[in-house]
Amino acid sequence: MTELISRRKIMIGAVTSLTALACRADGARKPKTHVVKIRSFTFEPAHLQVQSGDSVRWINEDLAPHTATAEEFGWDTGELANGASAEVEVSDGMETTYFCAFHPHMKGSFEII
Amino acid sequence: MKLFMSAIAVATAMIATQASAQDVADLNDVEMAHVAYTADNIDIRYAHLALALSSNPDVHEFANTMIRDHTAVNEAALGLLDKLGATAQDNFFSQALNENAEKIIDDLSKLRGAEFDEAYAANELAYHQTVNELVENTLIPNIDNDEVRALFQQGLEIFRVHEGHAEMMVSALNG
Repeated sequence: MTELISRRKIMIGAVTSLTALACRADGARKPKTHVVKIRSFTFEPAHLQVQSGDSVRWINEDLAPHTATAEEFGWDTGELANGASAEVEVSDGMETTYFCAFHPHMKGSFEII
Repeated sequence: MKLFMSAIAVATAMIATQASAQDVADLNDVEMAHVAYTADNIDIRYAHLALALSSNPDVHEFANTMIRDHTAVNEAALGLLDKLGATAQDNFFSQALNENAEKIIDDLSKLRGAEFDEAYAANELAYHQTVNELVENTLIPNIDNDEVRALFQQGLEIFRVHEGHAEMMVSALNG
């Protein structure tokens, strides 16, 4: 009986440890880089779900130079010539809607989850 | 103002009437490349004039976009011609475009303030409408080289966006 309890305790302990490990792994989630391609005067995808600590990379595949610029100008990739890219790191509270400063009808956004 | 607008309309019409569409369609690829390069440079010249004469921030923003985008297209065109071992070739239609541009620049240069802004915006709209129609219906269908045609198609995509911006600028200035 004692042996059975001990085995059960060990099993519970092992499951608890694995859960804790999983939680730690989740807590220390590796940041992702989300890619937004700029094609034909549109951001693709135009909307993203991201987490704080992730990065968003914009790659300009158009001939015309573009930017990704926060609506209230809190962050900005600067000018992206054809083939150029730039990254912005996501942080809590940052602006999540943006546009191209050169072609303001181009709009995109992301949601911090 | 009405007189100046008439001048724009006449100059725009001249672009279409100085040569028949067939004459332009008969140009070879390197001549068409020269037409496109010339049309880009003309709009860059209009933009520099706007930066010098206008004090309207929206007009400056539009003009800077014209310089940036048309310069990018021209750099790509020169890069492609270089890759193909070809050189853009001057022709009657490039010369007609330049002659019309000289007249328009001369007229625009005499204007100031809101009168300049409205005339510049109206000219940008008329110019992009005329050039886009020409590129889409006369030049692109008659280009032989696939890479040259692809570059013209990319350019047209940009110029259509400009036409839309010019339309909004005209509405905003006249509103």
